[in-house]
Amino acid sequence: MARIKKKGQAGQAKNFITRTQAVRKLQISLPDFRRLCIFKGIYPREPRNKKKAAKGSTPSTTFYYTRDIQYLLHEPLLRKFREHKALGKKISKALGRGEVKDAARLEKTQTPRMTLDHIIKERYPTFVDALRDLDDALSMLFLFANLPSTATVPPKTIALCQRLCLEFEHYLITTHALRKSFLSIKGIYYQATIQGQDILWLVPYKFVQRVTGDVDFRIMGTFVEFYTTLLGFVNFRLYNSIGLIYPPRFDAESDERGGELSAFTLEGRGLEEPQKAIEDVPMTNGTSNDTATSTTAQDLADNLAALPAPEDAEGADDTTTIPNQADDPTTEAIDTFEPTADDADILLNPSSTPPQKPPPSSPTRPSGSPAKHPARPSTWDPVLGDGSFTADESDPSITHQIVDRPPLSQSGVPEAAPQPETTEAEGGDALKSRTLPPGHRVPGRIYVQPQWVWDCVNQGRLLRPDLYAPGATLPPHLSPWVKAGKGVYDPAKPLEEQEEEDEAEAAAEDDEEEEGADDGAVEEEGEESEEEETAPRERVENPLLNRPEEVEAGEGMDVAAAEATDEEDEEEEDKEEEEWGGLDDDEPAADDLDEAEAERLRHQRELEAEAAGVPLAAIANSSTPKSKAAEARQKADRRRKEQDEELERGMMMMSRKKRKLFEKMRYGNEKKEDEAKRLRAKRRKLEKGKSGGVTA
Amino acid sequence: MSQLNGSRKRKLVTRAIPDAQDDNDELGDALLGGILSQSDDEEELGDSDLEDEDGEEEDEESGDGLDDEDELESDEIPSEYGEEDIREQIRNLKTADVDGPNGANGGLTKVSGAELPETTTEPLEEANTEDDTEDLKPNYRVTTDANGNPRYLYREIEPAYDSDDSDAPATTNTIGDIPLSFYDSYPHIGYDINGKKIMRPAKGEALDALLDSIEIPQGWTGLTDPTTGKPLELSREELEVLKKLTRNEVPEEGYDPYPDMVEHFTSKTEIMPLSAAPEPKRRFVPSKHEAKRVMKIVRAIKEGRIKPYRPPEETEDEDPEVKRYDLWADEAPRPDHVMHVPAPKLPPPAHDESYHPPPEYLPDKAERAAWENTDEEDRDKEYLSRDHDALRKVPGYDKFVKEKFERCLDLYLAPRVRRSKLNIDPESLLPKLPSPDELRPFPTACSVVFRGHEGRVRSLAIDPSGEYLATGGDDGTIRLWQLRTGRRTWSVKLAGDEAVNVVRWRPGTEAFVLAAAAGENIFLVSPPRRKTRCRAKLSRRAGRWMGLRSHQRSLRNERASEEGSRCQMDPPRLPARRKGRPHQNNRALNRQSNQLAPPRRVLLNRIPQGQSSAIAIHTLSKHLTQLPFRRLKGLAQSAQFHPSKPIFFVATQRTIRSYDLARQELLKILQPGAKWISSFDVHPGGDNLIVGSYDRRLLWHDLDLSTRPYKTLRYHKKAIRAVRFHQGGLPLFADASDDGSLQIFHGKVVGDLMENATIVPLKVLRGHQVKKELGVLDVDWHPRQPWCVSAGADGTCRLWQ
Repeated sequence: MARIKKKGQAGQAKNFITRTQAVRKLQISLPDFRRLCIFKGIYPREPRNKKKAAKGSTPSTTFYYTRDIQYLLHEPLLRKFREHKALGKKISKALGRGEVKDAARLEKTQTPRMTLDHIIKERYPTFVDALRDLDDALSMLFLFANLPSTATVPPKTIALCQRLCLEFEHYLITTHALRKSFLSIKGIYYQATIQGQDILWLVPYKFVQRVTGDVDFRIMGTFVEFYTTLLGFVNFRLYNSIGLIYPPRFDAESDERGGELSAFTLEGRGLEEPQKAIEDVPMTNGTSNDTATSTTAQDLADNLAALPAPEDAEGADDTTTIPNQADDPTTEAIDTFEPTADDADILLNPSSTPPQKPPPSSPTRPSGSPAKHPARPSTWDPVLGDGSFTADESDPSITHQIVDRPPLSQSGVPEAAPQPETTEAEGGDALKSRTLPPGHRVPGRIYVQPQWVWDCVNQGRLLRPDLYAPGATLPPHLSPWVKAGKGVYDPAKPLEEQEEEDEAEAAAEDDEEEEGADDGAVEEEGEESEEEETAPRERVENPLLNRPEEVEAGEGMDVAAAEATDEEDEEEEDKEEEEWGGLDDDEPAADDLDEAEAERLRHQRELEAEAAGVPLAAIANSSTPKSKAAEARQKADRRRKEQDEELERGMMMMSRKKRKLFEKMRYGNEKKEDEAKRLRAKRRKLEKGKSGGVTA
Repeated sequence: MSQLNGSRKRKLVTRAIPDAQDDNDELGDALLGGILSQSDDEEELGDSDLEDEDGEEEDEESGDGLDDEDELESDEIPSEYGEEDIREQIRNLKTADVDGPNGANGGLTKVSGAELPETTTEPLEEANTEDDTEDLKPNYRVTTDANGNPRYLYREIEPAYDSDDSDAPATTNTIGDIPLSFYDSYPHIGYDINGKKIMRPAKGEALDALLDSIEIPQGWTGLTDPTTGKPLELSREELEVLKKLTRNEVPEEGYDPYPDMVEHFTSKTEIMPLSAAPEPKRRFVPSKHEAKRVMKIVRAIKEGRIKPYRPPEETEDEDPEVKRYDLWADEAPRPDHVMHVPAPKLPPPAHDESYHPPPEYLPDKAERAAWENTDEEDRDKEYLSRDHDALRKVPGYDKFVKEKFERCLDLYLAPRVRRSKLNIDPESLLPKLPSPDELRPFPTACSVVFRGHEGRVRSLAIDPSGEYLATGGDDGTIRLWQLRTGRRTWSVKLAGDEAVNVVRWRPGTEAFVLAAAAGENIFLVSPPRRKTRCRAKLSRRAGRWMGLRSHQRSLRNERASEEGSRCQMDPPRLPARRKGRPHQNNRALNRQSNQLAPPRRVLLNRIPQGQSSAIAIHTLSKHLTQLPFRRLKGLAQSAQFHPSKPIFFVATQRTIRSYDLARQELLKILQPGAKWISSFDVHPGGDNLIVGSYDRRLLWHDLDLSTRPYKTLRYHKKAIRAVRFHQGGLPLFADASDDGSLQIFHGKVVGDLMENATIVPLKVLRGHQVKKELGVLDVDWHPRQPWCVSAGADGTCRLWQ
């Protein structure tokens, strides 16, 4: 006889361990355990059978893999944690004795130094793995780079985050890795492709972040600690892969002046120093299809980067200049505290600019001013920070000027002479800081709103700047990540292309009926008609309801025919039916009658035509276009019904499991389609309102 | 002091009697010696006596000297004078005590009567120790011996002094360990050793109480000495001892817990050394061993093995945050662990997140209100789309930090489960079915509606010729309709308010007979053809067989029964009819065998009451009723004849049994697996069976294949009420359900045993309305055409063509 298996000795009971058990096993405190889990990337699991995993008890608990916890047992950090705890005790003891000096010495000399390097290597055995996981890291670090320093967020951390983010941006600028960007209400999304990996992150707008009380910065701090280490190594590797020295030289003075990105100076490696063999060949974790996709993605990215930059195509002067705030030299105070912060953010944000810059190797670069900043030939108002290659706003090499200001009417602006003071004050300098009077337009220069840049980048071509002129109503800004697919609404395409065959007609008919019902009442606004949306549908189906009665004895035929010919009657009828339509709810039966009924009607009409001596075609022609539309709709209805029937038949024969799966999938698809339909309906209404407004 | 004295006095008084006795004896001894030896004492005694009585001025010496005599006298007093005198004396004593300081010695010496012998000696001791000069009374006499030399004659030592039992109470009560309260009613409180009564000491009377209230004597405890019955009072010494005990001090007088240390070994250097040995050499010569050790260290330092301590330098020049090496210098791909679930990435933003979205993405009022009213947790989007016409107008996103924080929480707190997402076209899951167009003809649409029944139509049947439709409903009528036109040709109300459960036509075209079950009866009706001519034969109550028999006879005599009187009665064309018994809703009229030339009409009848009679087979031609089962397991639901063989099927709640009628044995038990079978039908070929159940299943059984269903279809939303095969050669069958729909199936049975039946759903026919949870109650096929009729709970029947 086989040995009797004991319960709780194998399987799920063994594989899972609750959090309390784990903490007890590791002999650390819960916060330490949390830190360790964050560092090591260990997360709870959902056992298939909770009851078995919890050995019979059913209170809801968090489960970890026993293997994971065992793996944590060997973590060197665990020893550091313990040392830290011991040190804390020593220090508190010393402080309790009043030996402050002792405590300080202990803290200074004995604080265990923790590095997460080995964990990074462990979690990301290859560089590509690290890149793949960079999304959250970048979002987090960019957020922390923009946070004000508080007790919970030390300035050191913020400085570190800022440095790492700027370094990363520098890399992006140098390699043109940025692919897409999107201005959302949350912040600015960027997507870069590095070694075939798409990295998407979100950068907040430069405002003071609102911090609610339920945010625990200790947890976020732990994440930031890990992410800074990760991004540090990633930056090192990235810089080395393109032959730059890491860390780049940092100019504290320039940073003080708000230079941000330009506070860093990138240095290439000398020729004598052979490039270290950091190949760009992405190494992946063996999944072959993964490599395939990544290489193709990289190819694509490279192609994109190799495209001639729009500015090159433009010809005359290939310096792309993104100066902002051209307009307001006199009101510098406004510049600083007005909502221009937005603009400053955008324009100073380096990663937004690279895609529309020519590659640094472009031969047609003017050798003059932008020589020092080959990577970023853009300029801005000196108020907004250091690093602009020219302070002269009237520099003729500027081709585009981004303005995000309401246009000033020329009459409202006093004819102001150019500002002599400022010019003279910095006159000695090679870079003259000259600003133009507000509302002044340099001839030959293109003035656009910032969205133009984003739309150009996302669409990969130069758009008409006049659509984006200052003060113009901007075209909608669309997310570059929404892929057009079946049943997905695409706002860029015209409505007709996306509509289902009879959707417009149905909507039109609905509207007409609505109008008829309302007797030309005032057109309602969105939500009201939204509410009524269901009503017309009922109305459509209602006419079929009373047919059976007519069929019953055979005499009903005449009535039906009369109804069909007399449309007004029908409409009245409709209204009536709408009232009593709620009484019986299973009208589908009527659908089936419908066809037979139609057949009869036609027959009847033929008879009538014969009796009247009029050819049938005439009658058919005499039917109004409206009825034609209705016909089309009916046809579509019929087709849809057939499809439904077919589907029903198929589902009848499916096993229950399959049917459930099918229904689940269909539910998902239908939800998507409903959403698209809703959007289409809204757009239709808007368009109609617009055209109606135009005609009116 | 004075109080002590007072107490002493009182005690003395109480001990008067025994003391007196003792004193008598002792006196003899003591006085003998005393008289003989101490003449001086005698004199003194006399003096002190006088003094005592006069002024009570007891100075030390007199007190000392007097004690024994004083006692003696006072002891004797109570025995002689009684209580009054004693009291007086006490009062005197007390006043005296208050006035003058009394000798401590007196107090000490006269603690109690028990110490009497001791006290007598005390003066002597004291005289020896303390009052050397004054009271040096020699305890010897100097005489001259025979030789004329002085001879010292010493006093005899009284043994009572040093005797050990001096502590023992001298005179005690001999009553033993019994409470004194036993003597409450007696004047005495016990007996002394001599058997004399110990009289009760004087108790405090009113005056006494007054005195006590005025001043509580020192040492007063309020307790009574259980042995003597006197109030227990403590002396000053005793109090002192108690006090010390309570203070955790040594009770002994004069004990010094911290005596001065006696220095045995002093720190003073002796003038003379203990040893006169010269200083050893090693005190002057450097140690070789030490030199060796030092040299070793020096060598180690020179060689760098030992580093002298240097305070740790702050090496802050290198920022640990700046990574200066390539972590992935020797990267080696490592396949991901199977159980590792990477964190899912956040989805990219959609159009509605844009700062300037297309207008159709902006929420209208209703959507905005809905979004605002939902709980923050339940919102499907955490933001509402907003439109800003310029980038400068975009405000900061106030939930940014919160969102990132939640992402962090998700990353480390949320359990991850790998969920495979099927990314296939759902259409591919659909089975490939032949197009219904290929399988025509089958009914597709309702062509005729038969209206007229009030209440539900329970059952219907198309007559074998296919011209008429008979229906029976809750209103108790049978109606006959022209099938093509829907015109009602005939109607009869059968039995009062009882519903007609089943109507069935006689198979074959030669006779036009309808059987209907209503209430507990089966009616056989011969409805008129084209004319309004009706023949009805009514069955009787089946409660009594005998009665039935007789009733049959009466029927044969073409007599109308009382029910039959309602319709015009014609002589029956058929030789016989009916068998009746309570029946509910189902019954089949069938031809048992085709071979039999005069077709035997057989009614199969399901009877709910009584298991033995659950099924009855009525042979119409013979007027016979058979009850085939002695006992039927389970509740009979429905019964059917095999189309060609003498087999019949009975459906109970869960199983279907087939019985051979000829051999009278059970052939097969089918287990459809349904919870409650509602109806079933046998394929005209006889080898297949469809079963409908109240738990929404439609099951196809192949009798040759297995006892389990070959195919289970479960698509109706409500119970299936009826199933029916097309009997006219078309491969069709239909079911009727409570959800108001009928389903038409193509069910082709091939003669080949190797091939399974093909079942294809063709059409769902909807038209009946659901009334009170009931939809379509019955369905029947046209005998030849692909038409079917259905009976609905809404009171209509429909012909589907």
